[in-house]
Amino acid sequence: MDFALIAAAHAQTAQQAANAAPKMDPLHHFQVVNYINIAPLGFDISISNSVLWMWIVVAVVFGLFRYALRNPSLVPGRMQSVAEAGYLFVDNMINEIIGHEGKKFFPIVFTLFFFVLFCNWTGLIPGSFTVTSQLIVTGTLALAIFVFCIFLGAYHHGWKFLGFFVPHGLPPALLPLMVPIEIISFLARPVSLSVRLFANMTAGHTVLGVLFFFTATMAWFGAWLPFGFTVVFTGMEIFIGFIQAYIFTILTCVYINDSLHMH
Amino acid sequence: MIASAHASAGGAAASSGLPQFEPSVFGSQIFWTVVSFFLLMMLLKKYVLPAIINILDSRASRISDDLQKAEQARKEGERLLTNYQGQLVAARQVAAQTLEEARQESARQRDQALEELNKELAKKKNAALIEIEQAKQKAMEEVRGAAVELSMLVAEKLIVQSIGQDNARRMVDEAVKQLGESPRLH
Repeated sequence: MDFALIAAAHAQTAQQAANAAPKMDPLHHFQVVNYINIAPLGFDISISNSVLWMWIVVAVVFGLFRYALRNPSLVPGRMQSVAEAGYLFVDNMINEIIGHEGKKFFPIVFTLFFFVLFCNWTGLIPGSFTVTSQLIVTGTLALAIFVFCIFLGAYHHGWKFLGFFVPHGLPPALLPLMVPIEIISFLARPVSLSVRLFANMTAGHTVLGVLFFFTATMAWFGAWLPFGFTVVFTGMEIFIGFIQAYIFTILTCVYINDSLHMH
Repeated sequence: MIASAHASAGGAAASSGLPQFEPSVFGSQIFWTVVSFFLLMMLLKKYVLPAIINILDSRASRISDDLQKAEQARKEGERLLTNYQGQLVAARQVAAQTLEEARQESARQRDQALEELNKELAKKKNAALIEIEQAKQKAMEEVRGAAVELSMLVAEKLIVQSIGQDNARRMVDEAVKQLGESPRLH
């Protein structure tokens, strides 16, 4: 009887200790919290931390460009050089992938690149929110691009755009196999586009969250190791943020090009 | 809908895995993603892209202008160089020509001076010869005159005092001897 009581007491203290210990919650960063609930006519347009950081990104991108170009000169200053480099970077991308016709899509591609890039980067600021870690955000962008490309293809080629699903130079016998594959790969485009970005951002920030948790909870002589990793990984995340924005944008260019020229 | 949003904010994450899959917050995010994106696009299109395009274009035109000017300056330089080289060659030719002319002129002057000198000398020589000739003639005439005088004198003496043939001969010899010496003494 004594034994059972002692065991029960031990179990209880262990439970209390477990409850008192800090809980690791690396996904906390991705929690969308509504600050102001707005729902006119039942349509939810509440202001959440995600929405707030979208606005911040818009302000930062616009503000940085305006600041860089506050008095443009023929001999550029540092900020102006960076702004011009950003312009030329997107310009090169469009020229290489779409060609001369790509000029009219420049504002879309340019905005997309810098919106995604700064969503990725502002997410690294401690206490901020990573907009691109929300699948619904990347999904909205990817789906909008997808729909835009379908309309673009239909506008340029009409019904012939359906020929997009029929690869050239294929024996007719293989068509029943290839056409569904082409259709599926086409439909997978927005999924892969959005999931790639969302997963990269989520994974990166989760790792950072875990590392920071260890840094905060370990004894001082052990904490430097995860802390060192957070430093390295933050640098890594800056790079990944750029690469993912680049991939997102370049694939958009590829899709636009497919709609214009088919393949 | 508001209530469901509250519920999700409260801590539904633990039950549904990733918080990103909580559908109650999808609506507002779709809406604001679209709005934010188009807002940013409008802002960039209106206030940023024209500025960048403007500055890039003006720089491109400036560079091509500068290149053109440099090319023109280079051509101008080449033109001037060939020009100066031509002038230099011409100047050298002129100098050589002037030198040659001066040389010829000096040679001509020297020849002329020499010729004049020769003429002068010849003239003087002629004059001297003429003078000598005249002197000779004069001397001859004088000799002739003296001979006549002498012969008159001899004749006179012969007439005045008769002399022997030997005496006469001696006297003539003397006289002739006198005559022969006298013009040279003259």
